[in-house]
Amino acid sequence: MSKAGPIVGGIAAIVISALVFLVPFAFIILTAFKDRAQAAALDFTWPASFNLWTNLVEVVTTRNWMLVTAFINSTILTVSSVTLLVVFAAMVGFILARRKSRWNPLVEFLILAGLMIPPAVVPTIWLMQGLGLFGKLHGLVLIEVAYNLPFSIILYRAFIATIPRELDEAAIIDGARPLDVFFRVILPLLWPVTVTNIVVQSVGIFNDFTNPLYYLPGNQNATVQLTLYNFQSQFNTSYNLLFTNILLITIPPLIVFLFFNRQIVAGMTAGAVKG
Amino acid sequence: MTALTVTESATRKGHPAGARRRSPYPAWFFLPAAIIYGVLFLAPTFASLYFSLTRWTLFNSVFIGLENFVQFFREPFLVQGLVNTVIYAVITSGLKVMLGMLLALLLTSNIIARGYLRSVVFFPVLVSTVGVGITFTVLMHPTQGMINEGLALLGIDGPGWLTDPRLALISVALVDVWKGVGLATVIYIAGLVAIPKDYYEAARIDGATRWQNFWYVTLPLSRPATATVIILSFIGGLRTFDLIWAMTRGGPGFASDTVASVIYKQYQAGFYGLSTAGNVVLFVLIAVLVVPLTMFLNRKQGHE
Amino acid sequence: MAGLDLKDLRKNYGTVEVIKGVDLSIDHGEFVVFVGPSGCGKSTLLRMIAGLEEITGGELWIGDRLCNTVEPRDRGIAMVFQNYALYPHMTVYDNVGFGLKLAKTPKAERDRRIREAARILQMEHLLQRKPSQLSGGQRQRVAIGRAIVRQPEVFLFDEPLSNLDAALRVETRMEIAKLHQDLGTTMVYVTHDQVEAMTLADKIVVLDRGVVQQVGSPIELYQRPANLFVAGFIGSPKMNLLPATVDAVEGDIVRVSSRDLAATAIRARSDGLKKGDSITLGVRPHALVPNQNGNVVGQVALVERLGNETNVSVRLPGGTPLMVVLDGDRALRLGESIILGFDPAQALLFDQSGVAREPL
Ligand SMILES: Nc1ncnc2c1ncn2[C@@H]1O[C@H](COP(=O)(O)OP(=O)(O)O)[C@@H](O)[C@H]1O
Ligand SMILES: [Mg+2]
Repeated sequence: MSKAGPIVGGIAAIVISALVFLVPFAFIILTAFKDRAQAAALDFTWPASFNLWTNLVEVVTTRNWMLVTAFINSTILTVSSVTLLVVFAAMVGFILARRKSRWNPLVEFLILAGLMIPPAVVPTIWLMQGLGLFGKLHGLVLIEVAYNLPFSIILYRAFIATIPRELDEAAIIDGARPLDVFFRVILPLLWPVTVTNIVVQSVGIFNDFTNPLYYLPGNQNATVQLTLYNFQSQFNTSYNLLFTNILLITIPPLIVFLFFNRQIVAGMTAGAVKG
Repeated sequence: MTALTVTESATRKGHPAGARRRSPYPAWFFLPAAIIYGVLFLAPTFASLYFSLTRWTLFNSVFIGLENFVQFFREPFLVQGLVNTVIYAVITSGLKVMLGMLLALLLTSNIIARGYLRSVVFFPVLVSTVGVGITFTVLMHPTQGMINEGLALLGIDGPGWLTDPRLALISVALVDVWKGVGLATVIYIAGLVAIPKDYYEAARIDGATRWQNFWYVTLPLSRPATATVIILSFIGGLRTFDLIWAMTRGGPGFASDTVASVIYKQYQAGFYGLSTAGNVVLFVLIAVLVVPLTMFLNRKQGHE
Repeated sequence: MAGLDLKDLRKNYGTVEVIKGVDLSIDHGEFVVFVGPSGCGKSTLLRMIAGLEEITGGELWIGDRLCNTVEPRDRGIAMVFQNYALYPHMTVYDNVGFGLKLAKTPKAERDRRIREAARILQMEHLLQRKPSQLSGGQRQRVAIGRAIVRQPEVFLFDEPLSNLDAALRVETRMEIAKLHQDLGTTMVYVTHDQVEAMTLADKIVVLDRGVVQQVGSPIELYQRPANLFVAGFIGSPKMNLLPATVDAVEGDIVRVSSRDLAATAIRARSDGLKKGDSITLGVRPHALVPNQNGNVVGQVALVERLGNETNVSVRLPGGTPLMVVLDGDRALRLGESIILGFDPAQALLFDQSGVAREPL
């Protein structure tokens, strides 16, 4: 075994990976710095002048500060749906792991179905209209909860199964009612998997494009992914602004990535080993 | 010792002997999740079975039998969407499995800068799909795009990645792989590090070559990871919408339409019944392809 | 003031009956130990008393209340689990005070009771720690503290010492005994370890396969086991059980013998016994002594010299192994022939159904 092998291989891997994975990001950043004329060339070149600030101001203020509204909407959407997901999924995972009942196979089937079946879009819109949820942010919150529940439940159930049942029983003897057992004993112990849930689901919901497109139409309601879509037509030729916008909406996932990389990987690979 | 205070609240008369106490794990804990899931996911799914058989304006629906489905399979562009969907799913999941395994092997070996490499490969998973789509649309521009300019430097005349009807779908699929291979890689890494070292040591004592090691130890023992990667990316591929919409809108013509983009287009055009029929077709397609695939991948390992 | 009354208590899991009709009466202040082999239903019975398992049939009375369907928190009980079951995210202080907090006990009162329990168990210095920062013994102490603050009328213990190492087990056992003395509360204690049962109990309940085999004080159980199961279970090393045949029945004297046993006359309840019946003779290892006129002859197969006593395994002609515990240190040679005798009053006869034929 030579020492040179890993080093040569490593350098090759670094170069190739940089070319394949970093250049596109570099391109986004460079273009965000350019002025409109230079950006239009779509070249991988150094900016002739640094216009990031002007680009930022323009992107943010365009269409009556739409991007700001969109960031607020996306934040509300992400925070509310993830909160509901955590609580409701943990409750289901708790009962599913603890109580053997003949309903369990049905519940498990529904969970798998939820992971697999594409939502029926138009009937959902029709139903939401009937319920007054269509085009409303809280309606979209509930949609995100419904679509992402199965994954969260699976994460929680696996984890709850590792918490000894005696803990519940000790609490019951101490006088805890079901809600006490869940909220004061179990839920705090789920913290590691809750963090995983929060980061994985936040990234997914923040980046979600399809569901806001269908269920939350209208510029007033735009979420950040839709601003991109709207901006694309508007700035068809102002690539500097388009890429400034892309840069802006990439920052939240980047922050999550920097701080919670481990939890995300843990969450996304859960189940891979046991199948 | 004084009597416990809480006992005083208990009923003195005692309960009838046969009465059941409440379970400490009440079924109503299912309720919030069940209502949201039932109303917003299950109910529309069932409703779609009916509405796919109607001409529908959202306000009233006329039952027309299987006409939507007949139309779906008669219109060439709709059929092409169906075929495209399968091609797309096969290409993306196939490439993700191969590249994911390869990258995972590389990143679990004692190569330098492993942490950096893992991060670089994984980060695109977390980035907005639409952002990625728009970026690559620009990079794949036939004349000005960076990819073709790069190829030109090497003396290659790059194709019209997204403008050539024969290539558009595959180009989008390649971007999908670029964005998603990081997930496949981390899943494989988790699978590989879970393989007990004993197997490799036993194989080494048996005089196995590297290739044999891979073929007889790594591959069979990482099968759960393979199954997960294939199933996840296959389902994802069949359902894919946002990337295609961001890059080609199904174009040029209908060359890169998938069932999901057809559903959206029909919805936009106001053909709600047809759109819903598309949904049912996609649902059936996934069921027909994924269920047997899952059973095949998770079958009991016999002779391996 | 609360004793316990179990009346024909039954428990089924599906169609499998695990507790098959237990009748038991426990007085206030008694220390009762359920003992039996693993899987015999001890924990199930205890958990039925605690209210953690549904009662399928029969009646459970705690004090003067029928408790079959009363919630655990209202039964006036506290329980200590084998694996401690401390809440990992709470400090010792909060662990002990959790029940009081749930009962909305005023803060000052709560604090007083937590500190009182900590004082009794000498763990005041641990109050601000998390369970993960405690040793096994300390954890079990906290679990006991959590039980004490509830001021229960009945303490329930499910194998509380099983996870401790041998030295700590003896120490904690003594502390539990002292706790019982100090508090004077009814305690029900489950173990599979007959030494724990013998040392702690006022009253032992021997269970096997969901059926009570015998109830009595430790000495009663040791001296007058009701059947072969109890005889084999209580006492260490185990009672020797020698197959034999009835030679003659003369009033309450039964004469027995076998290949391994010269003719021996034993006082026993002899009704229904007749010449030729198979019978089992039980004699404790400690009751056997070397005696030139003894009625058991064998060869030394194994010697364990412990200093204060010597355990000798003897091979009998019929092949039955015989365990003997001799006082003091004896230097016996392997293969040496040895003649042993015992006082017939210390031997017991068990008939074919395994029931002890105690002299009336
Ligand atoms: N939830 C359950 N379902 C079915 N059988 C059970 C259950 N819990 C315990 N048992 C059975 O009941 C019997 C008694 O168990 P247990 O009371 O735990 O025994 P132990 O005396 O060792 O504490 C065992 O045979 C066990 O297999
Ligand atoms: Mg037990």
